[in-house]
Amino acid sequence: MKEKGCSVTTSSRPAYPAGTVITGKWRKSRFIIRRVLGKGANGIVYLVQKEGSRVPYALKMGFDAMDLQSEVNVLMSLQSKRKASETAKGGPRMSYLLEVDDFKSPDGDIPFYVMRYIRGTSLHHFIRQRGTEWIGLTGLRLLEKLNGLHRFGFIFGDLKPENVMVSDVGRVELIDYGGVSSIGRSVKQFTEWYDRGYWNAGSRTSDEGYDLFAFAILVIQLLNEGELKAAASQHLPQTRNAGQLLGIVQRSPKLKMYAEWLRRAIRGEFASSHEALRLWKETIYAPAIAGKLPGKTPRWLINAFAVSFMIACLACLWAFLS
Amino acid sequence: MKQILLITDGCSNVGTSPVLAAAHAFQEGITVNVAGVVDYGTIGELGSLEIAEIAKAGGGVSRIVGTRQLAQTMQMMTRKTVVQTIQQAVNKELKQILGDTSLEELPPSQRSQVVQVVDEMTETTPLQVALLIDASASMKPKLGAVEDAIRDLMLSLQAREGMSELAVFHFPGRRSGEDAVMDSGWTKDAGALRSLFQRIQMKGATPTGPAIMKVIDFFRYGTLNEHETWRGHADEGEGMLGDYVV
Repeated sequence: MKEKGCSVTTSSRPAYPAGTVITGKWRKSRFIIRRVLGKGANGIVYLVQKEGSRVPYALKMGFDAMDLQSEVNVLMSLQSKRKASETAKGGPRMSYLLEVDDFKSPDGDIPFYVMRYIRGTSLHHFIRQRGTEWIGLTGLRLLEKLNGLHRFGFIFGDLKPENVMVSDVGRVELIDYGGVSSIGRSVKQFTEWYDRGYWNAGSRTSDEGYDLFAFAILVIQLLNEGELKAAASQHLPQTRNAGQLLGIVQRSPKLKMYAEWLRRAIRGEFASSHEALRLWKETIYAPAIAGKLPGKTPRWLINAFAVSFMIACLACLWAFLS
Repeated sequence: MKQILLITDGCSNVGTSPVLAAAHAFQEGITVNVAGVVDYGTIGELGSLEIAEIAKAGGGVSRIVGTRQLAQTMQMMTRKTVVQTIQQAVNKELKQILGDTSLEELPPSQRSQVVQVVDEMTETTPLQVALLIDASASMKPKLGAVEDAIRDLMLSLQAREGMSELAVFHFPGRRSGEDAVMDSGWTKDAGALRSLFQRIQMKGATPTGPAIMKVIDFFRYGTLNEHETWRGHADEGEGMLGDYVV
């Protein structure tokens, strides 16, 4: 626990072992810890089961009551806005947040909240296992998630592969809402690489473009991590700039397909994430019309195009002569 | 809200105790944070103890980091201290309203409302941060990283809704008796923070305590030399300093 006005905070509290029962101080619910799912910037997340039930949940214990409550506030506000828009559309959905409570531990009260458990692997592991051709679809779903947040007036902030979970069928969920902030406010939490400010490419004020910039870095990282790493480490902080990122996009054959989208996101040219979503869709589905997914244009289509072009030329010539 | 962020790599060796100076700052409503910068080896037991004690006396936080994490750490410390200061003020109010209780003891629903207020104030309260940089000889190779970290901090402050200003000082000065030199007065502009330390001549002495006292003066009068203020009375400044000697 935090000592007021003192220089020590214990952010390295050891995790609780499997089998530990977490009893809520206020609501008295009992949760049994199965294992650690991960460690966020401001807490540890466990896989738990509610006593007497087999449904798995994720339980996050915060390092600091203030930080965790701030995160819970965002989740609650998001949930109520989502509910309002969903009852308008009909069809309820399973809520994200289950319970908020405190755990009386021997070293003092630890705040926690219980949320839906999202089974899956983090984005970069998923892409490494399944191949880069999954980037189009998972990217689309991630952009949809971000766009959903933006519509409710929030930005995600700390977007990075570790915070994006992908299920085995490619469904995407954002985890760790600790960095979520209202549009117009300062970005609460970020990671250097994905931060617009780090690349001297814009402010740290929350706007839709901030998430889109991080998304662009994420795509570059998934497809050409080596060059991104080099750009981040070779240059002095004051000379680091968006031009280096644009250079990577330009040079890298693997990024060619997404080049136009990435350029606009890095330059901050998208008016909204809705527009960005639309261009992403056009980008990933454009080659599909022409046959194989991101593959080359098929021969027959090229031939057909040549024939039609020749007919058009002849028609023009004929019209011109007559 | 007022903060001093001291960036140093070791022990003070001249003049007033920096712990006492930090306690004076805290008394004046200025929180003191300390970043200890080390790249090779350790900062030494004495150094790290002093750093922790300065922060403790100044009501702030301290961290010992390498130059690579400096930018992130400075940003985190500043934000954390803002939150902490507001939280303390809010907790004080809570105690008056609800008796002997703190944020952590409130049931989650009430806590939610309190935190909402704290979040709001964290974002909007006007903030002044004075950076005080140890420019003694051993710090020389680290000053580039310090300058980058300052620019990065400015970027984070600019994103706030409330007014945010930064001022930069280094110590020791060129001649003896000059305890701190101003590199930039209050500014909201990152452009003003370019090539801050190019003309610095490194010296061995580290008058951390006296430098903190100088910056406290700057918060009070807007200048390092009391006699130049609109008050225009050097003796008044002396009088103030006289009060410190208890």
